[in-house]
Amino acid sequence: MASDTLHAASADEQWGGGRSPFNVSYGKLMMWYFLLSDAFTFSALLISYGTIRFMSPTWADPNEVFNGMPFIENANLPLGFVSIMTFILILSSVFVVRAVQEGHMMNKAGVVKWMFLGILGGAAFLGCQAWEWTHLIHGADHGHGMTLYRNTFGAPSSFGQLFFLITGFHGFHVFSGVVLNIIICIQAAAGVFERRGHYEMVEKIGLYWHFVDLVWVFVFLCFYLL
Amino acid sequence: MAHHEPLDPAVYKSQVSAVWKATIWLTVITVVEVVAAIIYMEMYEAGEGPRLLLNGFFVVMSLLKAFFIVGEFMHMRYEKRALVLTVLVPTVFLIWFIIAFLWEGSAWLNARTFWEVIG
Repeated sequence: MASDTLHAASADEQWGGGRSPFNVSYGKLMMWYFLLSDAFTFSALLISYGTIRFMSPTWADPNEVFNGMPFIENANLPLGFVSIMTFILILSSVFVVRAVQEGHMMNKAGVVKWMFLGILGGAAFLGCQAWEWTHLIHGADHGHGMTLYRNTFGAPSSFGQLFFLITGFHGFHVFSGVVLNIIICIQAAAGVFERRGHYEMVEKIGLYWHFVDLVWVFVFLCFYLL
Repeated sequence: MAHHEPLDPAVYKSQVSAVWKATIWLTVITVVEVVAAIIYMEMYEAGEGPRLLLNGFFVVMSLLKAFFIVGEFMHMRYEKRALVLTVLVPTVFLIWFIIAFLWEGSAWLNARTFWEVIG
C-alpha cells in the first residue's frame, strides 16, 4: 500500500502538468519525433532498394562501381573514397557535439569555433558527393557512365535510379543541415543565445545533424557494403 | 526557460572524453568493415563464398555504429527512459517491413523466372 501511494504521488508529480515528464523541452521532443518520421521515410527508400534488388536477376558489384578516387586516373581502390566521405561526416558530427558541449559551458567562442568546423565538414562531404556523382555519370575513362536510364555495371537501370534518388535525398538533408548550422553559427557569434541564457537551439539542430550521419551509416551499408 | 548555469567542469570533462571514445569506435568499425569487404573480394570470386555471413557481419556492425551515434552523439543514453521508449519502440515495425518486402522481392524474381519473362 505504502509503495502504491508513493508510486501514485510520483506519477502525479511527473505527469500532473507544469513540467516536462521527459525532462526535455517541447522543441527538443518534437525534433525527436520529426527525426523518427524521417527515419521511416529513409527506411522506406532503402527497403524499396532491397525489394528491387531482390527481384532483379543481376545487380552491380559495389567493389567494381565505387573504386574511383579524385586525382588518380583509372584508380582501382574499392570503397576507398567512400570511406573518406564516411570519416568526414563522422568528424563533422563530432565537431557539432563539441559545440553542444561548449554551449552547456556557456562558452560562446567554443560554440562558434566547433560549429564552424562542423560546417566545413558538411561542405567537404557535399563536395565529395558532387565528385562521386560526376565520376559515375561520366564514367572512369570518359566513356559511358551511369545515368537514370543505363549503366555499364550489368545491372538494371533501377540501380542508377535508386542510387541517385537515395544518395540525392540524403545529400539534400546534408545541404539543409549545413544551411541550418550556418544560421546557428551566425546567431551564436552574434550573441543571440548568450542573451537568451541557453544554447538549446544548438542541441536541436545538432540532433538533426547527427541524424544525417546516422542515415549515412545505413546508406553506406545498403549501397557500398551489402 | 531560465538562464542556465555553466555545467560542472568534472561532468564536462567526462562527457568530452566519452564523445572522443565514441569517435574512435566509429572510425575503427568503419575501417574493419571496409577491410573485411576487400579481404572477401580478394578471397572469393564474385558471387561465391559465404556472402550471408559477411552481410550479417556488416548489418551487426552498422547497428553498433547506430548505437554509438544515437546513444552518445544524440545523447539518447542520458535521456529519460520514457522518452527513449517513445522514439525506439515504433522502429520495431521496421523488422516486419524489411522481411515482408524482401520476401515479396524474391517472390517476384521467382515468378518472373518461372514464366520466363526474363532470361
